[in-house]
Amino acid sequence: MDLTSFLVQGLINLYKGSLYWILALGLVLIFGVVRVINFAHAAFYVTGSYLMYTFYTYTSNFIVSLIIAMIITGALGAIVEITIIRRVYKLETIYQLLATFGVALIANEAQKLIWGKGVVYISIPETLGRSVDFGGITINYYVALIIVTGLLLFIATIVFMNYTITGLRTRAVWRDPVMSEALGINTRLIYTLVFFTGTALAGLGGALTVPLISVGPGLADYLIVTAFIIVVIAGLGSITGAYIVAILVGVFSSILVLIVPELDIVILYIIAALILLFRPHGLFGER
Amino acid sequence: MYMLRRLRALIDGNIIALLLLIGLLGLISFTGHRFYMYIATLIMIFGIFAMGYNILFGYAGLLSFGHGLFFGVGAYSVALFTLNVYRDPLVGVLFSIPIALLTSIIVGILTLKHGRVYFAILTLALSMIFWSALVKLRWLTGGSDGLVGIPKRGVHVDLSAPTVFYYFTLVFFAAIMLGLYVLNKSRYGLLLRALGTNEDRLPFLGYSTFTLRMIALTISGVVSALAGALYAVFYSVVTPDVAYWTFGAEPLVMSLIGGSSYFLGPLVGAIIFVSLTTTVARFAEYWMFLLGAALIAMILFFRGGLLGFLESLVGRFKLGVYLRWRF
Repeated sequence: MDLTSFLVQGLINLYKGSLYWILALGLVLIFGVVRVINFAHAAFYVTGSYLMYTFYTYTSNFIVSLIIAMIITGALGAIVEITIIRRVYKLETIYQLLATFGVALIANEAQKLIWGKGVVYISIPETLGRSVDFGGITINYYVALIIVTGLLLFIATIVFMNYTITGLRTRAVWRDPVMSEALGINTRLIYTLVFFTGTALAGLGGALTVPLISVGPGLADYLIVTAFIIVVIAGLGSITGAYIVAILVGVFSSILVLIVPELDIVILYIIAALILLFRPHGLFGER
Repeated sequence: MYMLRRLRALIDGNIIALLLLIGLLGLISFTGHRFYMYIATLIMIFGIFAMGYNILFGYAGLLSFGHGLFFGVGAYSVALFTLNVYRDPLVGVLFSIPIALLTSIIVGILTLKHGRVYFAILTLALSMIFWSALVKLRWLTGGSDGLVGIPKRGVHVDLSAPTVFYYFTLVFFAAIMLGLYVLNKSRYGLLLRALGTNEDRLPFLGYSTFTLRMIALTISGVVSALAGALYAVFYSVVTPDVAYWTFGAEPLVMSLIGGSSYFLGPLVGAIIFVSLTTTVARFAEYWMFLLGAALIAMILFFRGGLLGFLESLVGRFKLGVYLRWRF
């Protein structure tokens, strides 16, 4: 296999990395600010996929379905935060993980109850389905859309965090929740907002996934592991790190499929384990 | 006189309950009832798994999502050993011990140096590495079909009769439970519990948290692997599902149901869990939904599990002095 085909493969698979990034972003935000490892994150992602499927089949309007799927998923996340997660903040980290694990179990089963055990799939809308030719490299509009969305989300997050007053407050809660509260920041509201945003982003990612791969039971189990690996390699709580690592994982995993089809995932995991052995707090982690 | 005092210090409500349970399990074999024996065997296997798991979770306070890895290592080492090397289930089960020991040490080196959150995530990732290796390495592990035909009849022992296999499991069960009980009562048991309650203080007392965590992980890993090995011989089949992380989360649920801060908690949880899954699951297709709801309810309202709930009842009637359950 020559170099160009590798490059093409890598370029096209930027979209995979971008989807991983959208999945990881919510996880990083929720862990950073709320300090909860959200085990149910992939379940929310898949919820977004299913909602997209339902709304798109009814309305046939891509953008509207996308937004509705995103908002409903975020609202579900906020409900979960208010009713369950909020009550375990004061307990040990283990219990927070367990609570979200329970949510993940419920969500997975609820999805099976509502949408059945089969896979769901929608076709890419016609306007987005076309491809454009870049000197021999064909890129699908839809794939390009995902890559651009990922990049825009990255820029938006950085701008929001660093240049807005709410972002400043969020960073304050991220650094020191007790002190922030003493300064009059409504930490509870920020926690709920972050949970809403994080899960809404998961919903967006999930909604963007349905036209590309069929979504069914079991996908969430697989995705949560990949998301955790990305976040851990990047270092828990690093937004920039998560973006870079997610893109790299997306690209490398698809190149590895070409070289060693048998062991692609295994090698990825082993690389992750090695990185952690030498850099326990991840590539971009603090401390 | 000293020996007598040592012996008396070893006796409490747990050992009596344990011996009663072992006796009861022994009695079940006399009924000859196939279904009861089937459930009792599963209870023993998952009881071993959950008790092993709780060494990490309840004692050392380390949440592992990757115990399917150890269970799988036990199951696959017995399968590969009996099918390829030496055709005997007993030797196979014993062979899984050194393999599990080695695996635990490797896992420990990779995961124990970081915080508890990292431990949870890393064990999950490692178990998924193992799972995907099992699925991908078709020539060795048979891929997703797994390995079939693990012999019950071997060079030294013949376990093909259900009653014989039942006693075989019971012997392992009793030995492991009594071993864990002695551990629980020993100084190491105390140190392992100290890991869970206040690990920051241990270095001040001259102990290495890493070494103690490693000991906890090794014991937990070997016990879980033994459960896996028995499981493989019991079904004569082993598939990669046992290494998947959702399977590895089952002993966690059992420990929580029974009460992870009680010595017998995981065993009680295993009894409830196995009875429910083998009976109710046939009728309720979506029982995982109930499981998730139960999990959340337990975390919000009964963090002590069933035994914690019972203890609070006992405390209300001032019977606590007679029953010392907590480990």
